[in-house]
Amino acid sequence: MTESTRRSSELTAYLSHELRNALACIHQFGNILVDGLAGELSSEQREYVGIMLENASKIRKVLDSALDGTPDPIEESTNKIERVSKLET
Amino acid sequence: MDSKKILIVDDNADIRLGMHLRLKANQYETFFAADAFAAVAEARKHRPDLVLLDLGLPAGDGFIVMERLKQVPFLAVIPVIVVSARDGLGNQKRAYEAGAKAFLQKPVNDDELLAVIRRALGEPAGTKKPTLYDQGSV
Repeated sequence: MTESTRRSSELTAYLSHELRNALACIHQFGNILVDGLAGELSSEQREYVGIMLENASKIRKVLDSALDGTPDPIEESTNKIERVSKLET
Repeated sequence: MDSKKILIVDDNADIRLGMHLRLKANQYETFFAADAFAAVAEARKHRPDLVLLDLGLPAGDGFIVMERLKQVPFLAVIPVIVVSARDGLGNQKRAYEAGAKAFLQKPVNDDELLAVIRRALGEPAGTKKPTLYDQGSV
């Protein structure tokens, strides 16, 4: 393994660890709020926490795609739209 | 009926708190350790029914903790579930080889975590109030 490959691999592992831990906290505490484990939320508060969780979920999918090589659903859906557009023209 | 005891081993205090709140809401008693040394010490002290184990820890890593638990007969029988932010490729295989009952990559779905815990403890599958995240809408 070359020095640059090793450093790249270490950076990927570091980013994966740090970002996944941060995302885990956002998911954990967001769901704790939504489930009412820290008291009942108003419907407006639930909606806002839901938006927060939805966006955290998007980050996770991008992270999975970037770090683990799993397909990025956002990119896949964009590619599908582009393919359909090409077929239609 | 006594609550089952779960030892949460993670160097991130926020993760420990989040898991504690979720497990407490599901009638589990929790104990904590923030490094590999404390993990074995707390396991000896509390004799938990299950260990939730992070891999990246100070004073050793999760694999070392599993090795040390295996060296003590009354700790060797405790089921270990690895909950890690590390990539799943090599670590998952290594965790199973080291004796882990399951490998979950962070961030973990609450329902999946509880289901894996119940399975490892030989408990019937339970229900939890579904969240937006669990329903797949988030």
